[in-house]
Parts: sequence; C-alpha cells; structure tokens
Amino acid sequence: MRESQIMKIHYVTGIAALIVVAVHIMMRLIMPYNMSLEYENVVANYHNVPYVLLLESILILIAIHGFNGLRVILLEMRQGRNWEGSITVLTIAAMIAIIGYGTRTILVANGLEMGQ
Amino acid sequence: MEATDRNNREGLKAWLNPSRYGAERISYWLQRLTGVGLLGYFIGHVYETSSLTQGPDAWAAMLELTQTPMGHMILLLVIGMSTFHSANGIRLIFTEGGKGLGKPGRPDYPYDAVSLNYRQKSGIWIALILAAAAMLFGASVLFGGE
Repeated sequence: MRESQIMKIHYVTGIAALIVVAVHIMMRLIMPYNMSLEYENVVANYHNVPYVLLLESILILIAIHGFNGLRVILLEMRQGRNWEGSITVLTIAAMIAIIGYGTRTILVANGLEMGQ
Repeated sequence: MEATDRNNREGLKAWLNPSRYGAERISYWLQRLTGVGLLGYFIGHVYETSSLTQGPDAWAAMLELTQTPMGHMILLLVIGMSTFHSANGIRLIFTEGGKGLGKPGRPDYPYDAVSLNYRQKSGIWIALILAAAAMLFGASVLFGGE
C-alpha cells in the first residue's frame, strides 16, 4: 500500500475516533462521574449493543491510528529496508494484539451477570 | 558506504534540538509527544478495563488504584493531550490539503516561508487554548466532588 493511502487512512481514523471518543466521554457524564464507574453501571454499558459497537469501533480506530502514528514516528527517526519492514510488522502485530485483547474484554463483559 | 555513516541521520537528536524551534516545530514535537502519550494511555486503559471481567472485587481494586488524586491528574493530562492532538491534527489535515498555506511568492529577503503564516500559528494557538479549556472542564468534573 502506498504511503499516501496509509496517511488517508490515518486521517480518516483520526477524525472518526474523535467522534466516537466524544460519545464515549459523554456516556461518563450522563450521570455523576463516580456513579458511572460503579461495577453494575459499567457492566450495564456492556449489555447495551449500540454502546458495545461504539466501544469496538473506538478500539479498532484508535489501534489503527495510534500504531500507525507510532510507525510514522519511528520511520522519521531512521530509514532502511530492514528497519522499515520490522517496524511495520511489529506495529501491525501490536495493533492486532490490542484489538484482540480489548475485544475479549468486550465479549466477556457482555456475558457477565448484572448483579455479579 | 555503511548505512550508519549517512550524515542525514540525526535521529532523536534532530527531533529534540531546541535551536531549530519555531511555533511550527513546537507543534510538530507536541503532536508526536501527545500521540505517543495517548497511545500509552490507550494500552493502559484497555488493560485497566479488562479487570472488569474478573468480577466486582478486581474492578474495585483497579478503581482504588486509578481513582486517586494522582490518577485524576494523569487523566487531566490525557484530556489536555487528546484535545491538543485532535485540534492540531485537524489543522494538519487542512495543511496537507493545501488549505491555509498561502500563495507561493518570490523568495525575497529575509526569506520567510509563506507557508509558515499567521493562519498556521493561529491554529496552533487555538489547539493550545482548547486543550487548556478542556483540562479546566475536566478538573471541574474530576475534582468537583460529584
């Protein structure tokens, strides 16, 4: 993939992440902040399908944007075929790992009992 | 020639060299620092949230660790970083699209670059002011006693 296409993806994921994170933060403010962090309220969030989809989209968008940003920084510092290849592989692996780990949390929390 | 002998590879030294700073360089530096900071927070937040899957006790233990004055200060820093990174990032998207760069002109002394104009500087200042305002709002929520 060309670098110009990757940068377009970087910008699109950045703008999209800004929107979904704003909704995520607002969900913390619809009730007093401390109350929104109570176990039952947080588990209830994970039973709300549109909110679960929002969380998954945040996870994917920020993982792509963040790890590509890290890749760009590391490629600005140093260039070379091996370096560029290694950094690309490592950042993609880290991106997949964090998306997998976060998705696991979402799926398990979705199956939790409200009063557990 | 050895790749390490290339004299255009200053690496981190070039990135951090303060003798080349203008507003645009500070914004370049802040955009990267805030980006790395936010990525670190994102990874920590995903890990922190996973304690939910181990039940109410694990969740309460994690909250005891993070919902402290120090935890709130870190969260305030994250609010400031994310606001600056977003606002400055939008400026950079416009800039890459050629908006706000001005028209190319004849290079006359003192050779100020047309692209480094008041529109760009205003954008950087707006990003900084928005970050400060978001941190103030965040402080009112986190330390507001609700």
